[in-house]
Amino acid sequence: MHDFLRTFFDLREILDVLPALLTEGLRNTLLIAALAIVFGVVAGVLLAMLLLSRRRLVRLPARIYVDVFRGLPAIVTVSLVGVGLPAAGLRPFGREPLGYAVLAIALISAAYSAEIFRSGIQAVPAGQLHAARSLGMPYLTAMRVVVVPQGVRNVLPALAGQFIIDVKESALVYLLGLGFGQRELYFIAQERQAATYNSSALVAAGLCYLLLTIPLTYAVNRLDRRMREGRRFTAAPAPVAVPAKAAV
Amino acid sequence: MPAVSVRGLHKRYGPVEVLRDVDLDVAAGETVCVIGRSGSGKSTLLKCLNLLEEPTAGEIHIAGTAITGSGVDVDAVRTRVGMVFQHFNLFPHLSVLKNVTAALRHVRRLGRDAADDKAMTQLERLGLAHLAHQRPGRLSGGQQQRVAIARALAMEPEVMLFDEATSALDPELVKDVLDVMRSLAGSGMTMLAVTHEIGFAREVADRVVFMDEGRIAESGPARATLDDPETPRLRDFLARVL
Repeated sequence: MHDFLRTFFDLREILDVLPALLTEGLRNTLLIAALAIVFGVVAGVLLAMLLLSRRRLVRLPARIYVDVFRGLPAIVTVSLVGVGLPAAGLRPFGREPLGYAVLAIALISAAYSAEIFRSGIQAVPAGQLHAARSLGMPYLTAMRVVVVPQGVRNVLPALAGQFIIDVKESALVYLLGLGFGQRELYFIAQERQAATYNSSALVAAGLCYLLLTIPLTYAVNRLDRRMREGRRFTAAPAPVAVPAKAAV
Repeated sequence: MPAVSVRGLHKRYGPVEVLRDVDLDVAAGETVCVIGRSGSGKSTLLKCLNLLEEPTAGEIHIAGTAITGSGVDVDAVRTRVGMVFQHFNLFPHLSVLKNVTAALRHVRRLGRDAADDKAMTQLERLGLAHLAHQRPGRLSGGQQQRVAIARALAMEPEVMLFDEATSALDPELVKDVLDVMRSLAGSGMTMLAVTHEIGFAREVADRVVFMDEGRIAESGPARATLDDPETPRLRDFLARVL
């Protein structure tokens, strides 16, 4: 029992590694995850719209992309992008492993998000599109103004799950070898474990991940609730007539 | 020149013929009620008029402009033909005001203030101004349908189509919506309404059109036609619904 506690919960080990985790590690994990999430959401919405196209030729490339990047183990994608691309002479991020890491996680996230958004958009009743089109909105305008915003609201909880996965998968960057200052949570903890044969640093890193993922869940759920209820009062009702304008 | 002119309209879904050779003229300012059994093609006829359904064959003119055939700007056609749906189809994620301004801003390209002004004028006219900042989900069915009417009217259409606008409403809310439709008809709007409200048709419509199996089986001045139908099919239909 004593060994167990010392291996995983050695307070000195944890306190030693915590400063690096909370500054460098948290910052880089957050950076990778946030960029991947933003790209994943934007690309995911666009892919979802392609997936819903009536034209096979539009649908097919999106379908292949989603199937491939959802089907590959994340570790393979990260290696292919982070090691493969530079080896093939494609170095969009120079020798910056963080760039490749973000790209790899984002590509995966986009594929999963696309399927999430697709299901959400499909759940919007057809009458919504009909009503928007009957007012003269072109298809893309109707999707942007009416259908997609509702589709996104439908899938916020599922999306929160994807965000959490993105945060966790950022750990796979350790494969690419990070320099000092670029290390994210897992890399720091894993270096430490290798040096001390003690796993407490990993437990500390785990707590840091929870520090990110649990508030994320609550934030998205709150957003979900607020959108469901709708704002009861708009902060500042749009003025109907603005007689004072001329005087200003 | 009629506001709406339909010639030889056919609509087919695979082997199913929903509309068979429909001819119909609606004069400017006229109110026409379309009645008939469910499945007789009433709604499909209406949806063809703003191209929510694409006609299989035939010609449709709105105020003299052909809207069938190739090279038609479908979106431009739809801005001239307002439509009100059975299930309202309000945008639940937008406030009442934004439901009305959405098309003004994204189709008519009005600025926010101009769109809000126009929408509020329309909402006031229908007694809905106090609900402008509510979400549609908080409104009664009758209020929702009136918002939907305001939304369509804000685009200043030349023709208004009502697709069973009161069928999804609780009985006590039907009157509110019919009142709006009645005053709209009185204001000179060209209206085509698919309805099960025979009383409303008799009182408000200039003309009724009775559809049966994809054809116009009988049509004529509302009161005369409903009081004294010529065809056995219409007589039979009226006996069932009245």
